[in-house]
Amino acid sequence: MLSVVVSVRDAASTLAEVLAAICSSDLPRESYEVIVVDAASTDGSVAIAARYADTVVRLGGRESGPAYARNRGAELARGAVLAFVDGDVVVGRDTLPRMLRTLDERPDIDAVSASHADNSGAQNFVSQYWNLLLRFGEERHAARCAQFAPGCGAVRRNAFFSAGMYDEWRFATACLESVELGERLLGKGYGVLLSSELKVTHLKRWDLGSVFREVWFRSRLLARSLGYSRMSAAAPSDVVFTLSRTLTPAVALLAILMLAAAFVPTPDALAKGGVGLLVLFLTNMPVHRFYASARGLGFALMSAPLHAFVQIVAGVALCIGWILRDVFGDVSPDATTQAYSEVGHEIWPPVPRRL
Amino acid sequence: MSRAEVEVTLVQDSFSAPILMAADAFKHSSASPNDGLVPAIANRQGQRRPRRTPRKSLIVVLPENHIVSPDLVAVRLPAEGDDEEIDVILAYAGQSTSIAALQRQVGDLRVLQAPAGTSTEDLRELAMMQAPGDIVTLLCGTPV
Repeated sequence: MLSVVVSVRDAASTLAEVLAAICSSDLPRESYEVIVVDAASTDGSVAIAARYADTVVRLGGRESGPAYARNRGAELARGAVLAFVDGDVVVGRDTLPRMLRTLDERPDIDAVSASHADNSGAQNFVSQYWNLLLRFGEERHAARCAQFAPGCGAVRRNAFFSAGMYDEWRFATACLESVELGERLLGKGYGVLLSSELKVTHLKRWDLGSVFREVWFRSRLLARSLGYSRMSAAAPSDVVFTLSRTLTPAVALLAILMLAAAFVPTPDALAKGGVGLLVLFLTNMPVHRFYASARGLGFALMSAPLHAFVQIVAGVALCIGWILRDVFGDVSPDATTQAYSEVGHEIWPPVPRRL
Repeated sequence: MSRAEVEVTLVQDSFSAPILMAADAFKHSSASPNDGLVPAIANRQGQRRPRRTPRKSLIVVLPENHIVSPDLVAVRLPAEGDDEEIDVILAYAGQSTSIAALQRQVGDLRVLQAPAGTSTEDLRELAMMQAPGDIVTLLCGTPV
């Protein structure tokens, strides 16, 4: 049996489409169960979930993140394979069956996840830019790596529990928790596959603010919790972070050039800045070429300044993450949660578990 | 039938046979159709105090011409001597023949009646609004 765990929070605008797509899978209905874990939504997500799900879990209280919600769903799951689907991700009719087939046919693979479809569900420019950026990393490095994609992934039950489930202690927000799980699965000797053939559509609408916030959190968490070098060794950087492979040399080169330019006896600051941006553009040429082939030259040119700005945000966040790690250490929940955990306080919803 | 048009009656009675009220009975009284929904919702809100274990609910959904085997429900209920409690809600449309058997199986059965023609999805949603559980399992009957 397959257990599909869908974690949601205020996802009423997308949830019906997501659950309808799961229930339209080319699988006999009795061969899978749908478990929706609602993290204290206030928008009617529970009512929508009830229309499709076999089990609905209502988590009251504070938002504890998708890692926490997925773990609660997994604890109730009866299936030998657990699939995790986000509340804004639409699977194809054959996505879940093909995942099951992959796990059936390849005993060396214990977790398989789908990559982003070429088109995002939202049609605005920023959503398309972000969707393609993630797709870029997935397409270049689709293979065995520590990437258990957050949008849609399936994992054998024994592997999931043996690896310790999602890290709900450190990942209280939706950010890189699946990458961390993928790395842990790999570390325990399980096979993790990112498939470029399996594609799912992400419906989330991104705007400039949400993209920069995501980049900020990703970069900071990467530096502070996951460890930049460790993750780069476990999985291709393009996949984990999309930007990080080109980021470090780009920023380093830019800094050297700017420093050198500062000593050039010419007052033309525009020329110095232009040289810097040109270097940044050239180091990101593979990304721009990918955009041009996917959406045309116009889209690639329009995305170039946004991409440059995203890299600057990422660079600053990485530095902040490193500083925070050195000063305060790894992220951890608030003092109350830590105290409850320390004394083993039993309560529903349960206190986040430490790995 | 839209969700807004669905009128339901919640009958909470532990031991006596459920009282089946025609949905249109509300049209002739001063009561609102939603009046029947109030106790359960208030009940849920009143239970916000911390608990050690999750409260569980089981919803049995029976659209028209569907039945459910009491045994199927029984396997979802805690075994005798088990401390765990489960609220069981039967949501059905039109007339159902499974009520009496379920009533015998489940002492504290809540019955939610909706007009004939109410879809499975609407029944599930209506029952969900009544379920006090943190973990709610939905079980659908089989066609006759």
